[in-house]
Amino acid sequence: MSVPNGWTLAPVGGPRPGSPTWDRAEVVENAPVGDRHYRMRLAAPTITASARPGQFVMVSVPEETSVRAVLPRPMAIHRRHPTDGQVEIVYGVRGVGTQALSQVPVGGALQVVGPLGRGFDLAPETRRLLLVGRGIGVCSLMTCAEDAVAAGVEVTAVVSARTRDALVGASDYRELGISRLIEVTDEEGDSDPHTVGALLRDALDEAPAQQVLTCGSERLTALCARLADRWAATLQVSLEAHMACGLGYCHGCATAATTAASESALICADGPVFAVRREGRVSARG
Amino acid sequence: MSGRTGSTSPTLTAGPRHGAGHVGGHLTGPAPAAGVGPPARPTPEDARARFFAPDPARVTADLSVRLGSLLLDSPVMPASGCFGPELEGLLPMDRLGAVVTKTVFSAQRGGNAAHRLSETGMGMINSVGIPSPGVPGFLRDVLPRYHATGRPVVVSVGGLRPEEYAEVAEELGDAEYAALEINVSCPNLEHGGTEIGADPEAVARITREVRHRAGGRPVWVKLAPMVASVTEVARAAHRAGAEALVVANSYPGMVVDPGTGRPVLGNTVGGVSGPAVKPLSLRLAWLVAQAVPVPVIGCGGVSTAQDALDYLRVGAAAVQVGTATFARPQAMAEIVRELDDRCAGAGVAKLPELVRPGGDHEDATTPTRHPGRSADDRPSRGNG
Repeated sequence: MSVPNGWTLAPVGGPRPGSPTWDRAEVVENAPVGDRHYRMRLAAPTITASARPGQFVMVSVPEETSVRAVLPRPMAIHRRHPTDGQVEIVYGVRGVGTQALSQVPVGGALQVVGPLGRGFDLAPETRRLLLVGRGIGVCSLMTCAEDAVAAGVEVTAVVSARTRDALVGASDYRELGISRLIEVTDEEGDSDPHTVGALLRDALDEAPAQQVLTCGSERLTALCARLADRWAATLQVSLEAHMACGLGYCHGCATAATTAASESALICADGPVFAVRREGRVSARG
Repeated sequence: MSGRTGSTSPTLTAGPRHGAGHVGGHLTGPAPAAGVGPPARPTPEDARARFFAPDPARVTADLSVRLGSLLLDSPVMPASGCFGPELEGLLPMDRLGAVVTKTVFSAQRGGNAAHRLSETGMGMINSVGIPSPGVPGFLRDVLPRYHATGRPVVVSVGGLRPEEYAEVAEELGDAEYAALEINVSCPNLEHGGTEIGADPEAVARITREVRHRAGGRPVWVKLAPMVASVTEVARAAHRAGAEALVVANSYPGMVVDPGTGRPVLGNTVGGVSGPAVKPLSLRLAWLVAQAVPVPVIGCGGVSTAQDALDYLRVGAAAVQVGTATFARPQAMAEIVRELDDRCAGAGVAKLPELVRPGGDHEDATTPTRHPGRSADDRPSRGNG
C-alpha cells in the first residue's frame, strides 16, 4: 500500500482494543453472493460482543481438508448480530484456502480468532460520515455504518466494483438505512476517481463529512485524501496484508516496502486501520 | 496471568497493542450456592474459555523430559519466531516444556521488505528477516514478558557475523534465562554468501564462544537443514559443548507470483516450513540422533501429537512447534493434552513408555519397524 504523495500513515486514535479470544464457530450460513463472493455467518458470541468497527478475525481453513492450507485467512468483520451472537464475513474465492472455506457446510465449525487489530476511530463529534469502499474492501466499513446509523450520524457510502454482480455491501447499507448510497462500477464507466470525486463533491460540498473512512483501493484512497483536504475532514484507511499470526508475534505483515533500522508498523497489530495525514501536520485526532 | 504492558518492537504505536490480558481461564462467574435463587445470567462462553477451564476428569501423565541439565515439564515448546507473549490468554502455557524467544541480534534490526510471507503447498514461506529490538531493548521490553509465561525461557541468539553471537551472549550477561539457542541457520537472512550453519568450523567456534559467556547455562544449537552433511555440523556443535541440538530450521526456498512473474517475497528467497517439510526434518532428526549423544529437539511440520510422537520415535527427546500455531493458537497445548490422553489410553504413566514402538494403543497391530542404525548422510552415499 502506498500512501498518496505528501501523505503519511499514523496510528489511529481512540480506545485500545481488548484481548482477542478464539472459538469453534458454527457456520450458520455460507452462500454465494454476486458472481465471486461468499457470505459466511458464524456463531461466535464472545467475538461478536466485543468486536469494534473495522476489526477483523482470522478464519482457519479446516485441517481435515486435503488442501492443508496452513495459514488462517484474515477477514474483516462485515456485520455483527449481537442478539444472535453471530458475525458475518464476506470472502472472495481466490485460491485453495477460500475454495475449501466455500465448501464448509452449514453446521460445520471453524476455528476463528478475534476480534483483532485496531479498528476505525469514530469521533463522537462526527455528525456526517463518508465511507468509500471498493470490492471486498467495503466489508471493513460496514461495522462503522452499523455504529454510525445507531448513533444518528448521517452516512454517505460509496460502493465500487468491476461489475454490478461484484458489488459488495449495497444491500447491507440499504438495510441499515444510511442517508445516501452511491454505487459505481467499471462496466458502467462511473468508478474512476474523477467521476466519483465529482459525485461526492456534488453530494457533500454543502454539508461535508467530518470523517472519511476508506478501504480497498489506492486510487480511491488518493481521492479521499483530496476530499478530506477540501472539507478539512480527517481520513482513515484500512489496509490488507499477507498475515500468519494476526496478533503481532510473527512480524509477517509489516507495512513498509523497505528495510529500515526500526521495524515499520504491523498491519495486524498496529492497524489494520491507520490515520492518513498530511506530512508534517500534527492532528489531534485520526 | 500478566497484563500486556508493552509493545515488543519499535513501531508507529507508542503503547501496548491490546488492553489488559485475560484475567483467567473462566469467563463465567462463580456458580451461586444451591438454593439461593436463580443462577446469574452466564457471560457468553466460547471454546477458548472451555479449553482453559480446569478439567478434573483429565488424567495427566508424566510427560517430563530431560534435555541435558534441564528437566522440562513436557517435550513441547515453540519454535523461535513462531511464538510470542501475544499468545497469553489464547494458549494455556502451563505445560509447555519451555518458551523460545524470537532470535535476538546485538543491534536493532528492522527486518526485511514486504511481502514477508506467503502460503505454499502444505506449508508456508517466510522472509521476515527477524526484526530485533537489539539486546538492550530485548532485556527491557521483551524478556520480562516471556518470563511472565511462567515457563523456562530459551533465548534464541543470532548474528550476521560469527562474532555477533558472542556479543549477544555477552550483552545478555546474567539476565535470567534457562538456555541459549544459537540460530546458525536462518536461511532468510542475506549473508551475501555462505551460510554460517553450513560451516562446521564456524558453528563450533560460535558454540564455544557463546558457551563461555552463558554463565554455565546450557547452549543449544539449531541446525541448518540444507547442508552437505548435517551430522558433521552436529558433531562439531556437540564437540564444542552444545547440550542439545534443534533439528532443523526452515528450508531455503522461493515462490514466484504467477500474476507478475516475479518472486513473491520482498527478499526474493525465504524459509519453507509446515507439514510439507516434516519428512525432511524427521530424517535429519533421525540422522543426528544417531550421530551425537546429546538430546535432539525435532522441529519441522509438527502440528499434532502424532507428529510429535514420530519425532520422539526416531530419537528426538522433544519437539518444537512453529507454523501450526498460526492457524491454531492453542496447538501446543492440544498436543500436550493428546499425549496425556494417549498415555491414558495405552495404560502408561510416563512418556517413554508411550514412545516405545507399540507403546501407543493407536499403533497398528503390525509391529512398527524400528528405525535402523546405519545411516550416514554424506552426499557420496547418494542420499544426502
